[in-house]
Amino acid sequence: MSLDYVKFSGGFEKFMPKEYRDMVEHGPFGKKISVSQMGSFKEILEEHPMCAGCAMTLFIRLAIIAFPNPEDTITVGTAGCGRLAISQAAIPFVYGNYGDQNGVASGLSRGLRLRFGDKPKDVVVMAGDGGTADIGFQQVLHSWFRKERFTTIMLDNEVYGNTGGQESGMTNRGAVLKMAPLGKKFEKMDMLQMAKVAGCAYVATVVPNNPRRVESVIKKAVLIAREVGSTYIQAYTSCNIEYAIPTDKVMEDAKTVENDRYQFTEYVSDEAKQYLTERYGYKDYLPKPAAPAAAIPNKA
Amino acid sequence: MYLVANIDVEICAAKSCKLCTQYCPEANTILYSEEMGKDKGFKYGSAYVAVDRCKGCAQCVWVCDNMAKNNAIKMIMIDQLPLAAITDNVTYGEKSTVAVLSDPMVVG
Repeated sequence: MSLDYVKFSGGFEKFMPKEYRDMVEHGPFGKKISVSQMGSFKEILEEHPMCAGCAMTLFIRLAIIAFPNPEDTITVGTAGCGRLAISQAAIPFVYGNYGDQNGVASGLSRGLRLRFGDKPKDVVVMAGDGGTADIGFQQVLHSWFRKERFTTIMLDNEVYGNTGGQESGMTNRGAVLKMAPLGKKFEKMDMLQMAKVAGCAYVATVVPNNPRRVESVIKKAVLIAREVGSTYIQAYTSCNIEYAIPTDKVMEDAKTVENDRYQFTEYVSDEAKQYLTERYGYKDYLPKPAAPAAAIPNKA
Repeated sequence: MYLVANIDVEICAAKSCKLCTQYCPEANTILYSEEMGKDKGFKYGSAYVAVDRCKGCAQCVWVCDNMAKNNAIKMIMIDQLPLAAITDNVTYGEKSTVAVLSDPMVVG
């Protein structure tokens, strides 16, 4: 797809908002950028009120950089820490009432398809573990069963961080939190398995201590959601306040958790593999060349 | 007074791994300049911190010490920085940024 259409008509530059001009001139609008260029261009998400050292912010920052066409992307969120940062970005953000985000995104994604036809307009839902797995659970699962074409990203900090540390469905069994002093009595919900059962075309887990992997996972999820079906990414984004992680040890914790229970997993449906290969030239899913047949020893 | 990250240009320009720019949770805070360090004869540019956006979490220090193993970033009190970049003094170019370094206490 060409990126050429993001240009100002001659003489109209000064009527565009400064944020938009900045994004076109010094930011990622209309260009291809990657995480290796970070620090040298103006980012879509600049200032935000999140806590110092928050891993969720790092993930959101990487995710927004990874959007294949940020100028054509709309983010949807709900109550929780994440929306404090996402709503500050220079791309449209829709606030779904608590739990409604996937319902809102379904309507939005269908409406954009009616209005813009073939021109891709990506809808990305970024909500916390409470918004996705507890309060919004019904709408999340229904949007997946309906194969709504947008991406759902769970910012899994394993706690209700914004309201003082209550346990959520994604909290690990036995975790003791400020508002769960006896420890959680139930297992962590297996949302990955549920996403696969509900028919998501792409399901992945990721931890933000590998920026390149975050980038590639988000790109694939957004591209697949354009035509194939629902995609789901579950990201471990620790809450350093509620889990009392010193801010300079946040990445160390991410590494430990990645090795322990958040290994990188990726499920891509056959249809999605074919779509990525044919449409966007991904070479990872091409059939592997057959191993050379073992040499048959000549009989003397 | 509070702590902010400070990057040693001489160590950074010698390695130029750019890891800290990818791990900072604050956007456009650790920036990269291809010009910084050139006057000291280094081949690559260096990362630097826009101190007015730094929240002092020291994640970059961990990344620089443990992942990159360069030990180029230290946390120091903002009034003890000799010179620092402020967001308003940073201009974005094609592939890097240019910062006019100033005394952070004077700018406020």
